[in-house]
Amino acid sequence: MTKTTGKLELRNLTKEFGNGNEKVVAVNELSLTINPGEFVTLLGPSGCGKTTALRMVAGFESPTSGQVLLDGEDLSALTPDRRPMGMVFQSYALFPHMTVFDNVAYGLKVKKFSTAQIKKEVNEILDSMNLAHLTNRAPNQLSGGQQQRVALARAMVVKPKVLLFDEPLSNLDAKLRAQMRIEIRTIQRRLGITSIFVTHDQDEAMSLSDRIVVMRNAVVEQSGTPEEIYRRPSSVFVADFIGRSNFLAVSEVKKSNNGAVTVEASGVRLDVNAHPQALKSTHPHLLVRPESISVKKSGTANENRKANEGIVKSVVFYGNHVEYSIDTPHQTISAVVSDPVYDDIVPVGAVAKINFDESRAWLLPSDSAVITTEE
Amino acid sequence: MALKKSGSKYDIFTKIALVLVVAIIFFLIVLPLINILIFSTQPTGSVIVRNALSDEVTRQILWNTMKMGLSVAFLGTLLGFLMAYTQARVDFKGKKILHIINLIPIISPPFAFATAIIVLFGRSGIITRGIFDWRPTLYGYPGLVLVLSLSFFPIAYMNLLGMLRSLDPALDEAGSSLGANKLRVFRTVTLPLLIPGFAGSFLLLFIESIADLANPLIIGGSYTVLASRAYMAINGDYDIPMAAGYSFLLLLPALLVFLVQRYWAQRKNVVSVTGKPSGRSTPVTSPIARFFLLSVTFLLTTLILMVYATVLLGAFVRIIGVENSFTLEHFRFLLGGFANAAVKTTTILALIATPLAGIFGMLIAWLVIRKVRRGGEALDFLGMLGIAVPGTVIGIGYAITYNDPVKVAGVTIFPQVAGGAAILGGAIAIVMVYVIRSSPAGQRSGISLLQQIDPSIEEASASLGAAGGRTFRLVTLPLISGAFLSGLMYAFAHSMTTLSPIIFLVTPDISILTQKILAEADQGRYGNVFALCCMLIVLIMIIGGLINLLVRRFQVSTDRPLVTGR
Repeated sequence: MTKTTGKLELRNLTKEFGNGNEKVVAVNELSLTINPGEFVTLLGPSGCGKTTALRMVAGFESPTSGQVLLDGEDLSALTPDRRPMGMVFQSYALFPHMTVFDNVAYGLKVKKFSTAQIKKEVNEILDSMNLAHLTNRAPNQLSGGQQQRVALARAMVVKPKVLLFDEPLSNLDAKLRAQMRIEIRTIQRRLGITSIFVTHDQDEAMSLSDRIVVMRNAVVEQSGTPEEIYRRPSSVFVADFIGRSNFLAVSEVKKSNNGAVTVEASGVRLDVNAHPQALKSTHPHLLVRPESISVKKSGTANENRKANEGIVKSVVFYGNHVEYSIDTPHQTISAVVSDPVYDDIVPVGAVAKINFDESRAWLLPSDSAVITTEE
Repeated sequence: MALKKSGSKYDIFTKIALVLVVAIIFFLIVLPLINILIFSTQPTGSVIVRNALSDEVTRQILWNTMKMGLSVAFLGTLLGFLMAYTQARVDFKGKKILHIINLIPIISPPFAFATAIIVLFGRSGIITRGIFDWRPTLYGYPGLVLVLSLSFFPIAYMNLLGMLRSLDPALDEAGSSLGANKLRVFRTVTLPLLIPGFAGSFLLLFIESIADLANPLIIGGSYTVLASRAYMAINGDYDIPMAAGYSFLLLLPALLVFLVQRYWAQRKNVVSVTGKPSGRSTPVTSPIARFFLLSVTFLLTTLILMVYATVLLGAFVRIIGVENSFTLEHFRFLLGGFANAAVKTTTILALIATPLAGIFGMLIAWLVIRKVRRGGEALDFLGMLGIAVPGTVIGIGYAITYNDPVKVAGVTIFPQVAGGAAILGGAIAIVMVYVIRSSPAGQRSGISLLQQIDPSIEEASASLGAAGGRTFRLVTLPLISGAFLSGLMYAFAHSMTTLSPIIFLVTPDISILTQKILAEADQGRYGNVFALCCMLIVLIMIIGGLINLLVRRFQVSTDRPLVTGR
């Protein structure tokens, strides 16, 4: 699986649109090295520059400055048709006047493969993607998921060194999306093609990626494995974008001897892990994910010294989990309890005891985005 | 290390296409217009322009032109709207046939309406005098407005029908569910939403009518408008600067209105129409409204049919309404030598121009929508000049520009293509006019089609390794072949029926059918006019049908799988 080619480097990639007063910087000095076979996701809200970055890699936009290098070779001078990359578009972009077969054969035909070779390669990939029975259909006779698979087959049949995905799953329904995620990941792993995937969906990013690059306002906010991004976010923005969060106000931040940090949150002292910048920050926040918080009926025997109490404002029952919104004297806390026991669900208006394990908390530097997160 | 670049990269195919298109536009329309401007500053021309408002005669001509333009714009838009509303919202039998009848005037020969209306409703009209013993004066303002409104209302009809059909019926339903009755919904929802369509149609009809030359010559009488005055300056006064002066006065309002129509009316268009209709609109059921709409529709359709019946019958009888005995005399005369050459030449030149205009319009559309980032608007505008500039102005501009070789600093950069002394007897100039007059229609339909095609389809082709030209041929062209076909059909029909620019470019060697019709109409030989019109219509139908078949075959061949599947 380890391949030696397909190392992609983005160096100080910048794209500005417009000029003069209306100049907009879509991507600002983006630098990123993607190893051969690695699956990297560019994640961010709309307008953060992720799609523009992808289109610069593909060659559809020329960078204002900066370079794209593939295996050390500068691609800047190459038009899209001369870059060894395959792209899967959000709208699939299947050629409506060609059959499934011709769509997939297109790239091979352009590369002047022999008819027999084309037939063999196309039928092989259609077989492997369970599309063999659709060979002679027109794109408009296919379901969304089938179109998606044809688009993927078309991009991969030419054996590109890099696969680019521009939000390819956003037009599918939730179930199909989950299924296609697995398919894309399986095929990409098997072929070991370096891949960049653009999305605004954190579930997609987490389940697909070797590495997630979170972008915001044209720059990279954080780059790391899904686990790092989720458990050790570098900013309130990242924490909030990648999942649901509670941010507890803390006071008395002190470095403790075991490398952790001692803080006081809601009147309780905790030993927590912290971001290096958190200690320097004037108002750090303590991130606690809703699923890390346990909720019990008040009065239940619970001798934990860090217990806290609040009044249940809302309870939403989803079957496999329950979502609470609980008013404490300090702030509103959301909590998610999975596999809830029938009798233990705390009703609205009742007093609940809330609690979390301090090893699951993460101290973050303050960041202007904190206000926008309280929706 | 950093690579500085502004703008986007164009591939070699795009660059060549862009240079080619700009050069063609320059020689086919921009240069003749520049020459109009230059000549209109010469003594007899500048007098006209400078004294346009102070000189009594010129002021009257200006006023005549404006009055006619506004009247036709109003009446034509009203007729177009009534027909469109009936077509879209009233249920009745024969809708499809009615739709086709409404569209006929768009491709009819320029004199069919004027001459037939004179025969039917003139001083000795079959209907006016024959039935009512009434001898109205049709020549002048009333006849012009009637004939031009009948000729041009289909433009408003198509425009408004398209809008009515794209209005979301849910809007009307929302109005009703909020308690408004049908009439109130019509007044407060439907009509306001159509305002951009009304404005657009009004402006287009205004441009078309002030640009028209054929009808003012035949039915204008002493009612002189700018187009006919400019024509007279060439053919009566033999004063080219004077003709350039009148052309300039005509060009100014035409271009101004065109710009307003383009940037104001079209912008509003986008805002107000919601796009995807979500159901079928409820038809008009009120008996009074139905009666009114169907009566107007019936009258107008009858009128159009009567005009064509007159043309057809008039071609086969001695003098229609006077001596109604069957004869083939007109055809015998025409095909006995009078019009043989014109039929052949017109058809050949139109056939040469048709594919050129089709490809040219499509290429501009593709460059504007897909390739040119900065200046796309300007390119689109330049491409549309051929239709925005009145034909009379183009014809005079060509006569000025191409009756001699075009020289820059003594070096010929473009040969003499117009006039009897030119190569091929001036045929090249006529083909050039056909191309620049017909390509805008293909350009428009190509643009609206390309806007609907997802650009990532072409990007997908590029990312699979197909360079610019190849993507255009394998992906873009097959996808826009529908617009290409309609562009071709229109280009051919339009070339065959165009008169105003051609009339300044015919030579002893190159005679054109429409010019022959004008000559016969001028002499009052209406039998020959009708016969010529019939021949023209039949030619358009036959060759249009052949083009249709040809392009369809071509289309099928691109639809064939690139490589056959299993």
